[in-house]
Amino acid sequence: MGFFDDKQDWLREVFAQYPDTPQGRRAALMPMLRRVQQDEGWISPERQEEIASILGTTATEVAGVMSFYSYYQALPTGRYHIQVCATLSCAIGGADELWDELVQELGILRGEVTPDGLFSIQKVECLGSCHTAPVVQINDEPYVECVTKARLHALLQGLREGKRLEEIVLPGKAGHVVHNRGEEVGA
Amino acid sequence: MEAMAKVTINDRTVEVPSGTSVMDAIFHAGYDVPLFCAEKHLSPIGACRMCLVRTGSPRKGPDGQFILENGQPKIFWMPKLSAACITAVSDGMVIDTLSDEVKHAQSGMVELTLFNHPLDCPTCDKGGACELQDRSYEYGLVEKFYQPDPLELPLYTRFEMTRRHVDKHHALSPFIVLDRERCIHCKRCVRYFEEIPGDEVLDFIERGVHTFINSEEAGLPSNFTGNIVDICPVGALLDQTARFRARNWEYDSTETTSMDDACGAAITVDARSGLLERIRAAERREVNEVWISDAARFGHEWVNENRVRSPLVRKEGRLVEASWEEALEAIRKGLQGVARTDIGVYLGGHASLEEGLAAFELAQALSTPHRDFQGRTAYPVTVFSPASFDDLLDAEFVLVLGDPAEEAPTLHLRLSEYSRGLKPAGKLNHGTPFADLNIKERMPRLTDKLALFSVYPANTAKWAGASAVHAPGAEVALLSALLGQGEAPAGLEQPVAWVKGRLAASQRVVLVLGAGVLNQPEAATRARQLADRLGAKVMCMTPAANARGLEALGLFPGKGGAGWTETGPKAVYFAYLPQEAQLRAASFRILHLTHRHPLADRYADVVLPGQTAYEKRGHTLNLEGRVLPLEPAGINNGEADGAVAALGLIAEAAGVKAPFRLVRQATRWLHEKLKLPAVMERWMPKATGWAASESDVTQGPLYLRPTMWRQEQLVGAVARAVEVRLEMSPETARAQGLADGYRVELDTPRGVEKLEVRVVPGLPNGFMYLPALGAWAGRRVEARILVGGEA
Ligand code: SF4
Ligand code: FES
Ligand code: FES
Repeated sequence: MGFFDDKQDWLREVFAQYPDTPQGRRAALMPMLRRVQQDEGWISPERQEEIASILGTTATEVAGVMSFYSYYQALPTGRYHIQVCATLSCAIGGADELWDELVQELGILRGEVTPDGLFSIQKVECLGSCHTAPVVQINDEPYVECVTKARLHALLQGLREGKRLEEIVLPGKAGHVVHNRGEEVGA
Repeated sequence: MEAMAKVTINDRTVEVPSGTSVMDAIFHAGYDVPLFCAEKHLSPIGACRMCLVRTGSPRKGPDGQFILENGQPKIFWMPKLSAACITAVSDGMVIDTLSDEVKHAQSGMVELTLFNHPLDCPTCDKGGACELQDRSYEYGLVEKFYQPDPLELPLYTRFEMTRRHVDKHHALSPFIVLDRERCIHCKRCVRYFEEIPGDEVLDFIERGVHTFINSEEAGLPSNFTGNIVDICPVGALLDQTARFRARNWEYDSTETTSMDDACGAAITVDARSGLLERIRAAERREVNEVWISDAARFGHEWVNENRVRSPLVRKEGRLVEASWEEALEAIRKGLQGVARTDIGVYLGGHASLEEGLAAFELAQALSTPHRDFQGRTAYPVTVFSPASFDDLLDAEFVLVLGDPAEEAPTLHLRLSEYSRGLKPAGKLNHGTPFADLNIKERMPRLTDKLALFSVYPANTAKWAGASAVHAPGAEVALLSALLGQGEAPAGLEQPVAWVKGRLAASQRVVLVLGAGVLNQPEAATRARQLADRLGAKVMCMTPAANARGLEALGLFPGKGGAGWTETGPKAVYFAYLPQEAQLRAASFRILHLTHRHPLADRYADVVLPGQTAYEKRGHTLNLEGRVLPLEPAGINNGEADGAVAALGLIAEAAGVKAPFRLVRQATRWLHEKLKLPAVMERWMPKATGWAASESDVTQGPLYLRPTMWRQEQLVGAVARAVEVRLEMSPETARAQGLADGYRVELDTPRGVEKLEVRVVPGLPNGFMYLPALGAWAGRRVEARILVGGEA
C-alpha cells in the first residue's frame, strides 16, 4: 500500500496551497518529503517513486531535491538521529574528535542504526550556531551546544534512560567557551 | 524594428539587440570570454563563474540628463565583476574583458575548477577537444604551471595537490559512462534533459563539495541521451560506443546528413583507419540546431563488420567474389530473355536524390512500371505543402497524429522549443547565441498549443493540452470527426471537441502526420482535406529518410507496377533486403547490399557491394523539403559503390542507354533539368502520376509501431539497450492465451521471430504491437503466433 493512499485529504490541502499548474504541483514535493520523513524516519526508494508518480515527475528529481537537504534520510534512522555539525567552526571546535567518540561509543557508522534501534549518526553542514561550536542536533529538537565529550556521554546516557531532551542535565554550561577577549561565548 | 543597444567592448563599439547577454555582445564584437556552463540553446544560469567581466554604464542624474565627466557621459563601474552570461546589455554599457582585475579573476576561476579535476588527460577521450583544457591554456596561470622548456621542470605543478576521489567509471546506460571525478558541475547535462527532450532523468544529488550527478531511472530512459556527451565541457560524460578508439585529432571527420529519419539532422562522422568509430551532432540551426537522437548517434556499430566489399556472383550454387566486370556479365546473362518491362528497380529509403533520379530514368528507359523505394507510404507525401521548422515555431496550433520522438526525433526536440514559446535563436556575428536570455530553466510548457493522438503512448504527449491513445485504424474516424463529418471515435469525444475548438480559433496551424496515417490512404485523404480547409502546412514523418525527394522524382510504381513490399517483376534489383517471398517470386535477383545476409546467400544471383548512408555523396530532401548534402566519410568499404553506378551497370546489361554513370552528372541534371535549388533551400515539387496500388496496405492484428532504431543497428551497445518485445493489453493477452514473459514465435515481415510477450495495460485491445525497426513502420500486418508458452 502506498504511503499517501489514506492521506488524500491531507494531499488535497497541500496542493491547495500552490498554484494549479505543473510547476505548482511540484511545489508540494517538500511537504510530502517532510511528511514521510516525520512518519517513517526515512524516505525509502519506494516512497520516492510514489512521490514522483503523484507529482508527475521522475524519481531522479525527487532524489535531487531530497539529497540537497540533510534533514531527509535516504537510509533508515534510529529513534535518535544524531547530527554532528562538521563545518569549519565546529571542526575547529573539535567536531571530528566528537564524531570519533560517537562512532566508538555507539559502534556504528553513518547509515547504520544501533542494534537497540535507538541511535544513528550523521555529519551535517553548518547548523548556524557557530558561536557555540561544536553543535549537535537530535532529530528536529533544539541544538545541543558546546558539546564536550563529557556532555556527549551525559546526553547519550539520558537518552538511553528514556529522558526527554530538556530533562537531561549536561555538565558545564552552555557558553563555557571564552573569547580571547575574556567574555563567554554566547553570553 | 528590434530595439538595439550600443555597447562598447574594450575598444570596439557594436550594436546588438537589447536583451542580448554581455557574453554574446563580447563574442559579437570579436573578443573572447571563457565559459563553461553557458551553452547554445540552453538557459544561461551563471553556475561556473568563469565568464567574469567588468561592466559599467552611464547614469542619468535627477535632471534626466547623463551625468558627465570631461564632457562625456560618466561610466559608473559595477563594484564587482559580473558573470557575462547572465547579465543583459544596456544601451551605453561599457564592458572590459582585458584588464588585470578581470584576468586575475578568470585565472583564479580556472585554477579553482582544476583544483579537484583529475589530471588524466592522456587517457581521457575528451583530450584535445576539451573545453577545460583549452580554457586552462588560454586563461589559467600558464606561467606558473607550464614548462618553460622541454628539458626543464616547471617550478610548480598541479600534480602536487591532493584531489577528491570518487566514482570514475559509472555506466549511466549502455551508451554513456560517467567519470564523477572529472565533472565540473556546470549543470549543462542536467539542464539539457529538462529543457530539450523534457525527460528529467539526470540531476545533481547532494550539495556543495559532495555534489554529483546521477539518475534514479535505470539506463537513462530517453531517446536523446547522447547529446550530453557533446555538451559536457570535460570528459565526464563519454560515448561508450566510441570509448578509447582514438585521440580526437586522429579522427577523419566528415559533416553530412543523418539518414536515420526524415528530419535531416546534421552529423559529424568520425572515422579512423577506414573504420567508422564515432558520430557526433553537427550544427544545422534551421533543422536540428545542435542536437541529434540516440539512433543517429549510437546506431553505427553495425557499419564496420561483415561488409560486402566486392561484387559476388553465383557460381555452381555458391556466391563467389567477383569483379564489377564479371558482375556485369552475370547480369547480362541473367537478363537475357527477360522483358524490359519485367525488370523491377527498388531503392532503399535513404537513397540520395541522385540515386532516385538514376532509378527513375532507368525505369523510364526500360519502360517498366516496377519501381519504388523501401518505406514508401501508401499515400503520397508530396501532395502536402510542407512546413519548415521555422513555420512550426511560429504556429498557433500543432496537431500531431503519430509519435514524433520515435518517427522524427528532431521534431520532438523542436516541439519542445515550441511548447516553451521560443522563437528561432537570433543570429549574431558568431552565430547562435551562447547565452540566450530568452531561455530560462523550467519554463512553463504552453500546452494549449498542441494536441497529439497516437496508436501507442507517445512521449511528446506530455506537452499536449489534449492527447489520447487510440486503436490502429481509428485515424479515419478521428479525422472525419475533426472535419465535422462524423462522430468522434468512442473515448475520444473530449479531446476531439477541444481540438476542434482550438483549430477554429487558430490562424497558423501545422499538421504532423505519422506513418500510421500515411499508410492508410483513407485517413491520409482526410488529413489532406483538413489541411486544405485550415490552410495548414504539414510535416510528414515518413519511414524513409528521403521519401519526399524520391517521390518528387517519380520513384513510385507506375500503372500495374509492383510496390516495394510486393512480388511481380521477374528480374529485380533491390538496394535493401526485401521479404523472402519477393525474392522467391523473382527468377533473377540482384541485391545491392552493404552487409552479408543469409537471405542474400540463399537467393541472390548477383550481390553488388553497397554504401551505407555515411558513404554516399549527393543530396537528400528532409520533411521540410529542404535540400541537404550527403558527404562520404572516410570509411573503407572496398569496392562498394552507390546505386548510380549499379543502375548504370544494369542499363548496360539490359542494352538501354543510362543517362549518366557518375553521381556528379546526376547532380548536374538535378540542378539544370529539375531546378533543384542550392543546399539548405527548399524544393517542393508534387509527385505526378501516382498510381501506386493500395493493395499493399494490409489489415491485420499486428501493428508495427514506429521506432527510431532500425533492425541493422541492433548490435553492440544498441542490442543491450533496446528491447524488442511483443506488446499487448492484458485483455488481448488473455484472449490469445498469453501472459507476461511468455515466449512466442511469430511470422512477421522480417521472417519468423522469437519474441517475449510483454503485457502493457492501457494499450488498445485486439492488437499486438511490435517495434517496426525500419521501413514497415505504421503498417498493420497479418501475423500468426506459431508457438507460444511459458518461458
Ligand atoms: S557531467 Fe559534464 S555536463 Fe554534466 S555537470 Fe558535470 S561537467 Fe557539466
Ligand atoms: S560550523 Fe557548526 S554551527 Fe556553524
Ligand atoms: S557563469 Fe558559467 S558561463 Fe557564465
